[in-house]
Amino acid sequence: MSAARPGPADYLALAFTYFVVGVTVSVAMIERGISIPTTLAAALLVYSATSELAFLAVRDAGGSTAIGVASGWLVASRFGLLAVSLGARYRASVWERAAASINSFDPNVGLAVQQEDRSGLRRVFWQVTAALMIGWWIGSLVGVFLGDVIGDGRAWGLDAVFPATLMAIIGALVRRRDGLTAAVVGAAVCCLLIPIAPGGLPILASALGAVVAVLAFARRPVDSSRGGPATEDRP
Amino acid sequence: MSWWAIIAMAVGVSGQRLLGMFWAGPFLARRPTLSRLGDLLPAAVIAGVIAQLTFVSDARLTLDARAVGLLVAAVMVWRRAPLTVVVITAAAATALVRLVA
Repeated sequence: MSAARPGPADYLALAFTYFVVGVTVSVAMIERGISIPTTLAAALLVYSATSELAFLAVRDAGGSTAIGVASGWLVASRFGLLAVSLGARYRASVWERAAASINSFDPNVGLAVQQEDRSGLRRVFWQVTAALMIGWWIGSLVGVFLGDVIGDGRAWGLDAVFPATLMAIIGALVRRRDGLTAAVVGAAVCCLLIPIAPGGLPILASALGAVVAVLAFARRPVDSSRGGPATEDRP
Repeated sequence: MSWWAIIAMAVGVSGQRLLGMFWAGPFLARRPTLSRLGDLLPAAVIAGVIAQLTFVSDARLTLDARAVGLLVAAVMVWRRAPLTVVVITAAAATALVRLVA
């Protein structure tokens, strides 16, 4: 995929990815006896598949609702971080920026911030958002009504779809040495913390990868000749 | 999942997103060195999410069929394959390993 200019097939694949996520969350909710209206309301209002799954994981382990909610907040911290990245470059009316921040997910922010100019950033952000939402809502509805028909998606390798899509999204970033450093350190910090820290914290801590990359490449020019759009277009 | 749990999560999740957009994002943008942090955050955080989705089950580090899927995805991305190909080959590799294992 060209991160600079996603094409129709890329948008279809992004929609499919969020279709899979939508089905996964809906099935997880319905399996636990949560009603259809509540499942759909959570999909609309919480607006974070990871938060919903974190809440369910706490409840499965016998934790209280309050701890489930706190866990949902913690895992959503990554959307806050992505909104930081978007907010550093997104220029528009206050309402559009509010709407963009509420819609911050990994694929749309990851691809939007790789655009060189501001109009491209907004266009790609909202086009990717539209693809994600179409997939997410069809997936949520299919999961709610047809979850027991579909069966276990893992037999089809569907749990590999989301990480594979994310890999493609950061593909152009990791071709730059600073992006590669950020990603490798981020993933390593996350893995180191997983056995000892509560859920959500390892991903929050992976932001350290970006700090390390900024420090490591503070004075050296970054090799961006091997592809990947430069992002040094700031005024 | 009770209604108050849904409302509380909605407020907490949206609040963090709004804070990022209106407070921390502009804060970084005003400082040249820090604005590079904003550019690199998605690479670091998304890599963390990939690690979590691939190497964790039941809060423990695990190596299973998903790792093979990720490896295939990484090779496909490196070869600049279209996203559809990345997704399909990663899923197929994961399914195949599960079938054989």
